Amino acid sequence: MKTFEEKWTAWLDGQLSGKELTEFEASLPDLAAAQLEKRDAQKLGSFLKEQLGAQALSNEEFFSHQLHERIARDTQDRPRSTSTWWTIPRLVWSGAAALALFILTTVVLMTQHQPGEQSEYLTQILQTQVDPRANPNATISIFESKNDNKVTVLWTEGLQTLPADYAAK
Amino acid sequence: METETTPAQADVSELDLVRRCQAGQTDAFDQLVTRYRTRVFGMIYNMVHNEQDAWDLAQEAFVKAWKSIGRFRGKSSFYTWIYRIVMNVTIDWLRKRQVKAGGAEFDDAIQLKEIDPASKTVPKADPLPHQRMEQNEIRARIDHAISQLSPEHRAVILMKEIEEMQYHEIAESLGCSIGTVMSRLFYARKKLQISLRDVYENV
Repeated sequence: MKTFEEKWTAWLDGQLSGKELTEFEASLPDLAAAQLEKRDAQKLGSFLKEQLGAQALSNEEFFSHQLHERIARDTQDRPRSTSTWWTIPRLVWSGAAALALFILTTVVLMTQHQPGEQSEYLTQILQTQVDPRANPNATISIFESKNDNKVTVLWTEGLQTLPADYAAK
Repeated sequence: METETTPAQADVSELDLVRRCQAGQTDAFDQLVTRYRTRVFGMIYNMVHNEQDAWDLAQEAFVKAWKSIGRFRGKSSFYTWIYRIVMNVTIDWLRKRQVKAGGAEFDDAIQLKEIDPASKTVPKADPLPHQRMEQNEIRARIDHAISQLSPEHRAVILMKEIEEMQYHEIAESLGCSIGTVMSRLFYARKKLQISLRDVYENV
């Protein structure tokens, strides 16, 4: 949706046509005044073009010569091959490659560190203290951390009933 | 000796010149500079109203163009690409100058600056003294009126009215939307109409 300013500018520059032009002109409260304003703006444009359009560059050849010297100096100071190597796309690709390598290494290390072969927990299977008639296949295990004794897990398996007065001994 | 050309005329071998520049051939860049130096200088001069500053900024713009020509992909014309650099350099310079002036709308020193009658930046018709004086007064009025505009408004009005660029070309050069260009044109024209009406009505 164009704003009024955009439509006005397009109208003034003759960029509106067809339905858009008809609708815009119909929306103006005073078309005659707007036409005068349009002519005035066009007059301004011609005036600016006439007054400002003839700018000349004094000593054109010296301008080019000076520029040539600046570029030559700059090229000598900074070889193009080194200055263009670490462009932004290259930096982005390098960063992405480093990240991918990091993720890959992490995944590989994590998969190699699967629990089972050499658990960090010490497992002790305790003598079952549960009534073997009520729980024939019951086992009770305790897991303790090898590094410190802050973590201890009591694991019971196969219990069919748990006596109300049960306590692991 | 190569002459100044319009963008349409320049398009034929322009891409070829750009490719050669990208291969490091400075003579190809010289040809591009020859094509655009007057227009670039004129555009900057109309924005900054000082010949020496315009010269320096034009040099800076071309040096930047040379340094970054490797990134030109030909998606837009070279003409709008170089104008984008020119506008960035000039608007940046005007903004810095505005900050140095203490945030005033613009530096009054520029408005009151005498235009050297011997300068090649004034029309070359070699007028009579009273005509020259009158012309200088008109030019001073225009410069004053333009100096009251923000750098962005200056840029759009000059690119549209002097360079006769299309909305999309101006938008590409300034890195903004076409809607923004049209809106800026609306306000820039209104301001100039108010401040210059008595001049262009009587010329």
